[in-house]
Amino acid sequence: MSWKKVCAVAEVPENALEKFEIDGIEIIIANYGSGFRAFPPRCPHMEEPLCDSGVLFDGMLTCTKHLWQWDMATGERTGIAEKELLFYDVKQEGEDIYAHVEQALVYEDDDDDEEEEDDDDFFNAD
Amino acid sequence: MTTKTLNIQVNARNRAYALDGTSNDKILNLGLSNAVDLPYECGSGTCGTCKARLISGEICDQWPEAPGRKFLKLKKGEFLMCQCAAKTDSVIEVESFVHTMEAGACVPAPLKGRISSVKLLTPDVIFLQIALQQTVDFDAGQFMLVQFPEIVGFRGWSMVNYERHAKTLDFVIKKKPGGELSEWLFNNNCDGVEVDLFGPMGNATFYSRLAKNILCIAGGSGIAGIMSILSRASQDGYFSQYNGDVFFGVRTMKDAFFLDELSVLRGECGEKLNITIALSEEAAPDDARTDYPLLTFDQGFVHEVAGRHMEDRYQNLRAYLAGPPPLVNGSIGMLLRARVTTDNIRYDKFS
Ligand SMILES: Cc1cc2nc3c(=O)[nH]c(=O)nc-3n(C[C@H](O)[C@H](O)[C@H](O)COP(=O)(O)OP(=O)(O)OC[C@H]3O[C@@H](n4cnc5c(N)ncnc54)[C@H](O)[C@@H]3O)c2cc1C
Ligand code: FES
Ligand code: FES
Repeated sequence: MSWKKVCAVAEVPENALEKFEIDGIEIIIANYGSGFRAFPPRCPHMEEPLCDSGVLFDGMLTCTKHLWQWDMATGERTGIAEKELLFYDVKQEGEDIYAHVEQALVYEDDDDDEEEEDDDDFFNAD
Repeated sequence: MTTKTLNIQVNARNRAYALDGTSNDKILNLGLSNAVDLPYECGSGTCGTCKARLISGEICDQWPEAPGRKFLKLKKGEFLMCQCAAKTDSVIEVESFVHTMEAGACVPAPLKGRISSVKLLTPDVIFLQIALQQTVDFDAGQFMLVQFPEIVGFRGWSMVNYERHAKTLDFVIKKKPGGELSEWLFNNNCDGVEVDLFGPMGNATFYSRLAKNILCIAGGSGIAGIMSILSRASQDGYFSQYNGDVFFGVRTMKDAFFLDELSVLRGECGEKLNITIALSEEAAPDDARTDYPLLTFDQGFVHEVAGRHMEDRYQNLRAYLAGPPPLVNGSIGMLLRARVTTDNIRYDKFS
């Protein structure tokens, strides 16, 4: 798959988190001042919708439910966060923002091994 | 009938813990009373923070309708440790790191008490004192889980008082429209009623070795734990050295309470303690300022009022937030934008 246009730069002001849908996949675009990030809409901890629970400031994304934090420049978790945030590649071309979205990124825990095996069984069955 | 001892093994991210309990023990309470600091926030089935996964064995969910279950993946065996007890020997998995409590921590335990005093503070806030059968130690800012006979389930209530070896616990309860226990309290004579408690709980705690300025933002009955913090700080002469800024949000003057007590604390602690009453639905009447000359009054949502008054005074500061979740979340946003680090933000969401 390919790079998809998500939105215009002007739609995501500095320190804003905006949710968009591309081919049925929801993603958040975050403008952290010196760049943009694209990630799935829910907190990797307990699935809070980050558009509501997230605060972006000084390049740091904080989920206000339990104060997990991620550094937007490095993409790394900081403080008490116990899980990484997953990112889609993102780029700015002219006045537009593009994200590389092949399929929805899911957190490991949301897609248990057993269930994946079940799915395989289902598709390979008989 | 003897209750069989069950072995509950908790596999946390960093290590495993073996706990001996019975089928009466909620798994969260069993862990906490063994000084194993399992994850939780409300302790009462709403926030989902105590979720764990059943690996083997059988559990009994004592509140299958708990709102916190919306955070669970039931197919994966997830359950709320604060609502479930083991029925057989069990192995459970907790996703997060779990440590044992620090030496000197007030380890929670089951307690019994009796309502010893009840007083209406405003049309929808009641003061309630519980006399305990045994003394209890707690940190300023902590809460208890309290259960009344005939009303199923424990409620979290923050202590208002602060003392070591406390024989009584003071609470303020706000009437929640349609809320089972809070409405019952307003409609019944609860003096003398015997209650079960579990605690103390919560980590929005204050202690004098903190050695930082403190900022407290509370809405409605959220002032409870802040009163306990101010009481401890006052006992220790804390505000001779550090600043205290307290913002207490209520809708109108009719909803305000503890103004005399706050005035006394301000008088005892001196000028380094500033106490502001934020009225969200009216401007402060003139007589409020004459009646309470030691308090400041302002209009607006409490975290906005706090933001205006604090300006740039956020250095070396610990913030305590308590009250309805939107107020706490709004305050957290305000603090993050003021560059307060998350390790200096402590909160209780009255969910
Ligand atoms: C940390 C914390 C501290 C709090 N401190 C205070 C305080 O100081 N003062 C104050 O007024 N309020 C406080 N609250 C809110 C308080 O716990 C109650 O939610 C509130 O008083 C409403 O209770 P209710 O019974 O009227 O409402 P309800 O809606 O009937 O019940 C409220 C809560 O009771 C529990 N509950 C209800 N039914 C069951 C059941 N069948 N089984 C198990 N549990 C059940 C659940 O936790 C539920 O959310 C606090 C909450 C928390 C989380
Ligand atoms: S849900 Fe986001 S930090 Fe817990
Ligand atoms: S701690 Fe169990 S749901 Fe909040």
